[in-house]
Amino acid sequence: MSQESLDEWSETDSDWSPERCLSLTVRGPWGHFRRVEGNVVKQTYRVMPRTTVAGLIAAVLGIERDGYYDLFAPGRSAIAIEPVRGLRTLNMPVNALSTAADNLKSLNSRGKLSVKLPDPMDLRQQHNYEVLVDPAYRIDVALADSETYRELRQTLEAGRSHYVPSLGLSEHLANISFHGEFTIEEGPDDTVVSVDSTLPNAVDDVVLDSDTRCGIEESPAFMTTDAGGRTTTAFTTYAYNPDAEPLRVRNMQPSRVDGRTVVFV
Amino acid sequence: MLSPEQFRERYADTLADELPDGPVTSLRSLQYLYGKLYTLATAGGGDYAAYLTPDEAGDLVDSEDSLIVVRVDLSGNEPQLATDDRGPVWVTKYTDDRVEKVAHCKYPAARGIDHSVTHQAGRNSGPEKLARYAKERLTKWAKDEVVQEAATEHEDGYIVEALAELSEDEATLDAIEEAVKRELAGESTTALLTVQVKVDPDGDYLWPAERDVFLAAMRRRKLSKLVTKNKADDSSGQATDIVTGASTRTVGTSEDPQNYYLGKQLEKFPGLDIEEAWRTHPISEDAAVTVMNAGTFVEACTYRTFGTKVYCLPYVWGTISTSDAFDLYKLLYDATTEDDGMTPIERQYENRNTLFGDAQLRFYVSAVMPHQMSRYDVFGETLNGRLLYPKELATKHNQLVQQSAAFHSGAEWTPPMPTHPNWDLLAGSDEQLHAVSTGWYFAQTFAQRDDDDADADDPRIEALVSVLSGDAISVETLLEEYVARIITEQTDDDVEGFPSFRVASQFAQLCALATDKLDLLTSDDAAKEPITREPTYDTQTMEPPTDILAADGGHPAAAKLESFIEDTPALAPDEDAPHNDQRRGAFLLGALVGEIGSYQEYDQDRSTTLVDQFPVKSITKSRIKKVTQETIGKTLTYTRQEKKAGQSYPGTKAEHVVERLRETILKPDPDEWDLDTDDLRFYYALGVTYGMNDHPEWDSTAIDDTEEDI
Repeated sequence: MSQESLDEWSETDSDWSPERCLSLTVRGPWGHFRRVEGNVVKQTYRVMPRTTVAGLIAAVLGIERDGYYDLFAPGRSAIAIEPVRGLRTLNMPVNALSTAADNLKSLNSRGKLSVKLPDPMDLRQQHNYEVLVDPAYRIDVALADSETYRELRQTLEAGRSHYVPSLGLSEHLANISFHGEFTIEEGPDDTVVSVDSTLPNAVDDVVLDSDTRCGIEESPAFMTTDAGGRTTTAFTTYAYNPDAEPLRVRNMQPSRVDGRTVVFV
Repeated sequence: MLSPEQFRERYADTLADELPDGPVTSLRSLQYLYGKLYTLATAGGGDYAAYLTPDEAGDLVDSEDSLIVVRVDLSGNEPQLATDDRGPVWVTKYTDDRVEKVAHCKYPAARGIDHSVTHQAGRNSGPEKLARYAKERLTKWAKDEVVQEAATEHEDGYIVEALAELSEDEATLDAIEEAVKRELAGESTTALLTVQVKVDPDGDYLWPAERDVFLAAMRRRKLSKLVTKNKADDSSGQATDIVTGASTRTVGTSEDPQNYYLGKQLEKFPGLDIEEAWRTHPISEDAAVTVMNAGTFVEACTYRTFGTKVYCLPYVWGTISTSDAFDLYKLLYDATTEDDGMTPIERQYENRNTLFGDAQLRFYVSAVMPHQMSRYDVFGETLNGRLLYPKELATKHNQLVQQSAAFHSGAEWTPPMPTHPNWDLLAGSDEQLHAVSTGWYFAQTFAQRDDDDADADDPRIEALVSVLSGDAISVETLLEEYVARIITEQTDDDVEGFPSFRVASQFAQLCALATDKLDLLTSDDAAKEPITREPTYDTQTMEPPTDILAADGGHPAAAKLESFIEDTPALAPDEDAPHNDQRRGAFLLGALVGEIGSYQEYDQDRSTTLVDQFPVKSITKSRIKKVTQETIGKTLTYTRQEKKAGQSYPGTKAEHVVERLRETILKPDPDEWDLDTDDLRFYYALGVTYGMNDHPEWDSTAIDDTEEDI
C-alpha cells in the first residue's frame, strides 16, 4: 500500500485492513474515460480511473448515481487496477450537437418537469474522441462494508449485473469475468519489487530501465457529494506499463492476490 | 524575461521554495510548472507580473505604427482629449521599453476586449477597425462592469470614471475616430491600442503602468473571468485543487494555454450547468493564473506539421530538483528567444551534455487541429514522449543506409538497394533527427495528403506521435501507405521511371523501425510478424571484402541474393513463418521483372519494359501466376536471342533469380496464396527495385540523377 493511502486509512478507520478481495476482469471492444483536463477535446485516460471502477461496481450492485461514494471512501475500500492487454488508442470521429446555451432548447419549459435539449434538427459538428481499443483490466476490490461485499460476491458469482456495465461511456459495453475471492497476502518486501498492477502515487520510486516503457497519469480517485452535486476529494497518479507488463518499484509493500503482485489504493 | 544566468543568480537560494513539491503527472501540473518558471522570470514587473502578458505582442516590437495611443487630459475641470502638439491620437512604435509601460494583459476571446486598457488588435487591421478599438478603450474597457467595480474601490478610481464619462460624448468619439484615420492615412497595421492620461496640469501624459488603478482593474477583470466566463455568474466552490491537491476554493471557467477546456462545452458539466464547472475541473485561483502564464513557454515549444500544431513540452520525470529546474528554464528560455527552427527534441539533444545530468527527460506531445478558437481536435497525445526513440531511430536509419550490407556492397557488384546522395533517407543526414521529430521522416514515404485539411486519422501524425512516445506502429498501416505512395508515383507522368529511390527509402525506414532496441513495429497478423523483426545485414567497413564470390564459387549476384533473403526476416525461408514463402515469391517475381526490365531498357533500348507492363497496382494474387509465366517467357526469349548471338553462360539470363523464383512460386501454388495485397505489392516493388539495380558496380560517380527527386 502506498504511504498516502495508509495515512488516510489510519485517519478514518484504523481497524479495517482487508484480508480478502474479489477479483474480476472487465473488458470490452472500446473504452473512453474522459480526462478532466479537457472538455473541448475528448482524450481518454489509459488506466481506468478508480472512481470509474467504483461506478462500475456500483452499477453491478444497482446503486444509484451519487449513492456509492462512502462505500468506496479511503479506509473503507481497497482497489488494485491492472491493465491486462496492451493499452492502445485510436481517434474516433463522432457527430455531436452543440450544448452551448444558445443551442439548447427547453422542452416543456412551463411545465413542472422541464428539460433542456439540443435541437435534434441542428447540423452536427464532428468531434474527435480518443478511444481505447480492446481495453481489459483486472480489478481486485475489497470493501469494509461486509454486507455489500457479500452481495457483490454473490452477484458476480451469478454473472449478473443490475445496470449494464460499461467502460466509461455507456455505449462502450463491458464484459465482466469473475475470477473468485482471494486472500490478500503480504507481498515480497525486497527493496525493489516487480509489480503486476498499476502503481499508485509512486512516480519517484519507479525503477526506469531502457527496455521497459512506463507512463504516468493522474485521475480522480475519491469522490464526495453535497447538495449541489459531486466533487473529487483526491486524485491518484498511476504509473503503468502500456505494454501491460510489470513495473519495478522501490520502497513499496505490495500485496499478493491469486499469485500476482498488486498495490491497492 | 530574465536570462538563464540572471535567473540562476536571482533564485539560487529560493527556487526550491517556489517549485511544486510533487512530480508532473498531468498536462495541468506541467503547465503549472511552466507558468511558475515564467512568472518568476518576469517578476520584475512587481505585484501584477503574474497577471500580465508581456510577450503576447512581442512580434510587434520595433515595427512601424505598432502602438496607437488615445491621449486624454484629466487635469482640467472636464476630461477632454489632448490638445497639445501631439494631439488626441498618437500613432507610434511599440518598443522594448514600452512593454512594461502599456501593461498588456491579453484575453483571447473572439469578440471580447483584453483585460488591460491596452488592447491587441488583429493582424493587419484596417483604419476603420482600429478606430473602433481606439474608441472602445473608453466605451468598453472603462465601462466594463468589473473595471468599474475595481475603480470604485480604488483611490484613483476617478481616472476610470473620467474615461467612462468621456465615452458618453459623441463629439469626443468622433474626434478619436477621425484622428486615428488621419494618422494612419488609410493604411492597415498590426498594433496595440492604449491610453495615456494627464492628471497633473504640469505633469506628463502617463502610461497605464504609471497609474495603479489601471493595473488593479486589469487584475480584477482577469480574476473575474475564472468564474464568470460565458454567462456563468459565479462558477466556484470548495473542492480539491487539481494541481496542488489542496482543499480550497476552486474556479470553474479558467482558461488553459492549450484551450482544452472551455466553459462553452456543457456536456461535461453536471446538469449541463456552467455554474457547476468547478466540480469537474477544480482549480484554485492561484493555480489557474499560474497555468495561464505558461502560455509563452508552451507556445515556444510548438511547431506546425501536416496542417496541425504540435506541442512538444519537455519536463523532468519525477519531482523536479532545483538544478533540473534551472536547466529546464534554460531550455524554455532558448526556445522562446531563439529563432532557429529547432524542435524541443533537437534542442534537448544539442544540449544533452550540459543539461539535466542523469535526469529522465520526458515530453508531453500532442498534435492539435485548431478549427476555430473554441473548437479543437487532438489527433495524438502522450505525456510520455522521450528523446530516446526519435534519436535512436534517426541514428539507426543513418547507420542502415550508410553502413549495412543492404545498402553498401563495398565490392564490384551493386548492393541490394540503391542509394542516392540527394535523398536524405538513402544517404543518411545530420538532419535526420529533425526529420523524425517533425514528421517529415514519414512525409517522405507515406501517401501524400493535402495539409490544409488534416484528418483525425492521418497516419503520418499517428506515426509521428507513436515514434515520439515509443508506441509501435502497425505494419499494415505502413504497407498501405508505402504502396499508395508507390502507385501514385508510378502513375504520375512527372515521375520518370520506376520510383526505386522511394521504395528503397521506405524499406530503409521499415528496417530502422524494426530495430530490436526500438521495437516500433507491431502487427496482429501472424503472417506479418516477421516484418517486425530486425534484419541481420552485415555492417560494411570501408575496405572491400577480399572474397566477394560465394563459397561455392558462384556468381556474386547469386551470393548477394542469397544473403539478402537470408538476412531479411520477412523473406527468409522459415518453418514458423509460412507466409514468408509467398512474400519471397512476390519479391523474386519483382526482382526478375526488374532485371529483365532493366535489360530491355539499356540493352534493347525499349521504351516500354516489363516494369511498365506490370506496374505495382496491377499485382494481385490472381495475376501472380500470369505475370510469372510471361516474365519467365520473356527471360527465355532473351536467353535464346543472346545465346544465338554467341554469348555463353549456363542456364538462363538472371539465372540466380529465375531459379529461386521457380522453386518459390510453386510452393504453395499462387492460387492458394492468402497474403494481403499491400504486403504482396510492397515486396513486389522491393523486388523490382532490387532487380533494376542488380548489376556490376560501375563507377560510383556515374549516378543516374535523372530519376525523380524528392
